[in-house]
Amino acid sequence: MRPIVKTFAAAMLATSMLAAMPTAANAGGTLRLDEVAVGELDPAKASDYADSILMFNVYDTLVLPRQGGPGHVPHLAESWEGSGQTYTFKLRDDVKFQSGNPLTAEDVVFSVDRMQALGKGLSYLMSDVESVEAIDSHTVRFNLSQPYSPFVASLVRLPIVDKATVMANLGDGDGEMKDWGEAYLSANGAGTGAYVVTSHNPQEETVMEKNPNYFLGIADAAPDTVRLRYGLEAATVRTLIARGEHDIASQWLPPEVIKALVDDGAQLLTESGTGAFYFKFNTTKPPLDDANCRLGLSKAFDYASSIKMIAVTDEVSQGSPSTGAIPVGMFGANPADQTLSRDVDAAKQHLADCAHDIADHEIEISWIAEVPLEERFALLMQANYAELGIKSKITKLPWASFTERVSKPENTPHVSQLFVNAVTGDPDTLLYGMYHSSVPGTWQSPEYLSDAQVDAALEAGRTGADDAAREAAYSQLNARLMEIAPTIYGYDRQSVFVASNRVSAPALSDPAHAFGLDGMGFSFRLMEVAE
Amino acid sequence: MSQIVRVLAKRLATSLLVLIGVSMLIFAIARVIPGDPARIALGPNATVEQVQQLRTELHLDEPIWVQYGIFISDLSRGDLGTSLYTNRPIILDIAQFLPATLELVFIAGIMMVGFGLPLGRISARYRGSAIDNGIRVIALLGVSAPSFVWAVILMLLFAFYLPIFPIAGRISDIYSIAPVTGFLLIDTLIAGEPRAFANAAWHIILPAFALALSGIGQAARLTRANMIETYDKPYVEMAQSYGFPERRIARKYAFKPSLIPSLTIIGLDFAAMLGNAFLVEAIFAWPGLSRYGVAVILRKDLNAIVGTVLIISATFLIANIIVDLLIALINPRIRYSQRPQ
Repeated sequence: MRPIVKTFAAAMLATSMLAAMPTAANAGGTLRLDEVAVGELDPAKASDYADSILMFNVYDTLVLPRQGGPGHVPHLAESWEGSGQTYTFKLRDDVKFQSGNPLTAEDVVFSVDRMQALGKGLSYLMSDVESVEAIDSHTVRFNLSQPYSPFVASLVRLPIVDKATVMANLGDGDGEMKDWGEAYLSANGAGTGAYVVTSHNPQEETVMEKNPNYFLGIADAAPDTVRLRYGLEAATVRTLIARGEHDIASQWLPPEVIKALVDDGAQLLTESGTGAFYFKFNTTKPPLDDANCRLGLSKAFDYASSIKMIAVTDEVSQGSPSTGAIPVGMFGANPADQTLSRDVDAAKQHLADCAHDIADHEIEISWIAEVPLEERFALLMQANYAELGIKSKITKLPWASFTERVSKPENTPHVSQLFVNAVTGDPDTLLYGMYHSSVPGTWQSPEYLSDAQVDAALEAGRTGADDAAREAAYSQLNARLMEIAPTIYGYDRQSVFVASNRVSAPALSDPAHAFGLDGMGFSFRLMEVAE
Repeated sequence: MSQIVRVLAKRLATSLLVLIGVSMLIFAIARVIPGDPARIALGPNATVEQVQQLRTELHLDEPIWVQYGIFISDLSRGDLGTSLYTNRPIILDIAQFLPATLELVFIAGIMMVGFGLPLGRISARYRGSAIDNGIRVIALLGVSAPSFVWAVILMLLFAFYLPIFPIAGRISDIYSIAPVTGFLLIDTLIAGEPRAFANAAWHIILPAFALALSGIGQAARLTRANMIETYDKPYVEMAQSYGFPERRIARKYAFKPSLIPSLTIIGLDFAAMLGNAFLVEAIFAWPGLSRYGVAVILRKDLNAIVGTVLIISATFLIANIIVDLLIALINPRIRYSQRPQ
């Protein structure tokens, strides 16, 4: 045994000496962050947060949300005109794809066609686009099948792909367009974006380098290399950041871990204004088919305690108090100081006015197994209702089971907890899918709401001729939704990211630079990384 | 050696039958897990039409036996389909993730043999002493705590408080090694990069040790128990009465016969680690097949579930065959019992 032990010890010593060298922890200009797996690189299939980060950095869109305020500004487009059913965009003539090909109107047409043909990701946002025409090499016209006022907002989800590169890399498939380049674009970038993908493994890591030919130029202080890792555990991220080997953690770290890292000196970055956390009532199931019962349960909920539960520090929280059905900052939102609060007397009165005796029912409060925070809210709600003598049971549902159960009203729990975002930043993409009677039975509409006034307000918001008309429509909608309470409007969501102090990200720390669109704050070209 | 070949042929034939059974079972079970795979794959924002279109593409509206027939037909052409989770061919995913897990499990296996058996042997030789008691406590700790607990403890001790070992991944970012076999410890040597090899070896020590600790404890305890039993056998007593050196008795007469149950357990542990490595892989951000397997189950990625389970089952069977052959080589009674009458 002795020679073996000696050999083993010698091997360990040699390995440790060779391995004891600087790692990539301090590699200059490298930004390291993590997100939940997987990272979908094909922009036509992008829908999750990681996908959005990739899309906003590898690709560009015709317009961008205005930083620090409402509305949109030109980006790949130089200007645009139109309303109702026709929109015409003039493209910049100084933009080149990462391949070196110039951007033309044909690329825009191809990008829309491809998104519609694949029918994945957020392609439904383009479902009202009847046709797209290239008027000349740098002018493109969109013809819609019906007036859709938030159309310009929806263009922040239309990344423009390099037609020539995709056509040269078509995979297997039927017809002229074969697979529409799906296999190629799942592994490679073909955009005009500020960062070029150098390696991509959807479960492990995507590595990107600065695009030296980016049409807007990129500051020297912006990261040269970005390593976006997927699926890191909270304990791993905690240790990596503490050792200076990681820069920005995903928003899904438990609040305790965030607090511990802040105590160690890490900074907090935030992104807000696009969504909210909701407790959704099944309006078809007794006793919640009566608005008074729903209002009673809404008033009985302890909003203040729920806000305390998501506080990360004294100053930063994962949400702000809700003021109504529409998050603050969107069309139709109530003023920020009119926050919702618990009112036990009002709750008792509403329950007394309810056609059902709520004591005869057991309320099923569900929570999504993948989001442990929701269990705490379920327990809070159960305690709140127990004070009023309301029986309830808590059900843990994995996401897959939840989506299955909500497909039928009779299987849908009394209460479902959900985070919902406006994928374009416009209230239409937040509210229409939740409350319009034509779209019941999806994950975001377990209310199964059918209300003529709500439908009318949603239609008016979608087709309003100008901002004032849309504001009026959504104000009306907000008032009606508060009146019939299909939902408890928990809090306006704010994503909190813990980050090392070598990172500066104005779009995630200064409201004047915020985009108001999930993931866009991670535009790496606007960040700075200290050496 | 002909009887060994006969044993091998018999085991391979039964393994094939087991694999067919496993494929049918997992194919059915994967479809019983709640949730619509098309809805999960397309995400919460997909329309009902998009979901239905994908269901049709995946043949999910067909009866299960038709779906199984299509799967077997594709499999016969070496096509496991495309993962709904990563949007890549499943074969490509497995080819990428399997070597990482195999490398981890292989090193853990070496640790199990390298530490478990000697510890058991020392413990038995000095039974009743402080050394024996110390080893038994260590072995008990190894067996009683699951590998992910050890992973977190080891990370805290040797990567956080004493930052000796790296925390995540298979190799530091500064190295770019072209994949040849997928086994980084081999690829770094092929690339002629000894520093990269050392770096990769340094990365694998903590996760492999966390994974191996339970097996080390088990092997040590089993070897000790068997050796103590063997020490009471008349032929060992005879050797002792003849005055043979204690070290020789321990090695030749007590240790070797005690290896058989330990090897069987190590073989089973080795194969089981392929599936159980998930949490260790997750904690050390190890891009392996176990992590992939759990992710595809949660996403109800039907073809990827079947593909992953088949690969793990095949590896399990191969590991068992190798253990059986090793035991046959060690124990002549087993070897000769396979002879045709």
